[in-house]
Amino acid sequence: MTDARTLLAAILGLLLGAVCLVAPGAVVRVQTAGRRPTGRDGEYGTDAVPDRWRRLVQALGVGLVAAGGYFGYVAL
Amino acid sequence: MRHVGLKARMAVVGSILFAFYAVAAVVVMGVFDWPLALVLLASVLFVGVQYKLGKWMALRSVGAEDLPEERSPDLHRRVESLSRDMRIDKPRLMIASMGVPNAFAIGRKGAGTVVVSEELLRTLDTDEVEGVLAHELAHIRNRDVVMMVLGQGVASIVAIVAQWAVLLTGDNDIADFFLAIVVGQLTQMLVMLFVFAISRYREYVADSDAADELGSGEPLARALEKISRGAQGRESQVDSQAAALCIFDDRGGLASLLSTHPPVEKRIERLRSR
Repeated sequence: MTDARTLLAAILGLLLGAVCLVAPGAVVRVQTAGRRPTGRDGEYGTDAVPDRWRRLVQALGVGLVAAGGYFGYVAL
Repeated sequence: MRHVGLKARMAVVGSILFAFYAVAAVVVMGVFDWPLALVLLASVLFVGVQYKLGKWMALRSVGAEDLPEERSPDLHRRVESLSRDMRIDKPRLMIASMGVPNAFAIGRKGAGTVVVSEELLRTLDTDEVEGVLAHELAHIRNRDVVMMVLGQGVASIVAIVAQWAVLLTGDNDIADFFLAIVVGQLTQMLVMLFVFAISRYREYVADSDAADELGSGEPLARALEKISRGAQGRESQVDSQAAALCIFDDRGGLASLLSTHPPVEKRIERLRSR
């Protein structure tokens, strides 16, 4: 029988994973806004995010997609 | 009445954030049996620690040092004059080597700090630096930093409560832990959409205030233009692998909704069309 919570974990995990892969800078900004000054990284007038942070978030995104896929497989 | 548009937007976003916070507070009061006073105290402590820690970490992470008046008397004089005109206390002026032209403000009205990078002072002319300083002082006067800390505080509290709500209603198996983390992150993102929307508008307001103080938007527009032109030159030298990784980011869609700053071109256009 399909476990609704496991299926939800799969869907939302895939969704968050996709966001991490497609817009890593946005994910970093969500975590750092208000904790570090906005516009602190990169050039003045931008809210750029360092490349190493983007790559870290994208790596997390791969993990989230893999975990989401696994839970999807288990639920279905 | 100053900044009518900002006040109206703040009323809307503030109400939405309050609604998110109220739901989270009610859940905590119901599930953990906390009295309202304890919920409020914990929230204030949480946001207060974030504010203090954020300020300390920001200065530490860029290696900011106090800029002695003897080293840069002209810059100090300009900040003092702008602060007087803007009716705020002169903020602490610090300098850091950030590798790129940059400046940022932290703290609040009466206890603000402005950090400028050595690269910014080398790149910009005197009046352009003044434009940047006026913009940062406007952030302090308009309490933009405090607003951002409060917004992040509400988003974090709501996210933590959402995580616990998932954990406490599940079987505590591995899928539940995963679901709790994901729900927390997505909830925080949802709340931050509203915080970012007002943050972008506040950038325009700070630009407009800076232009009012200087009598023209041209110095700040030129500063932004000069810096973004320099940045484009540097970006073209970034290796193709890094460029491929960044291809979707900071360009439209979700990335622009989750941005703290509006596009530089739009800011320049607005500054020049005043």
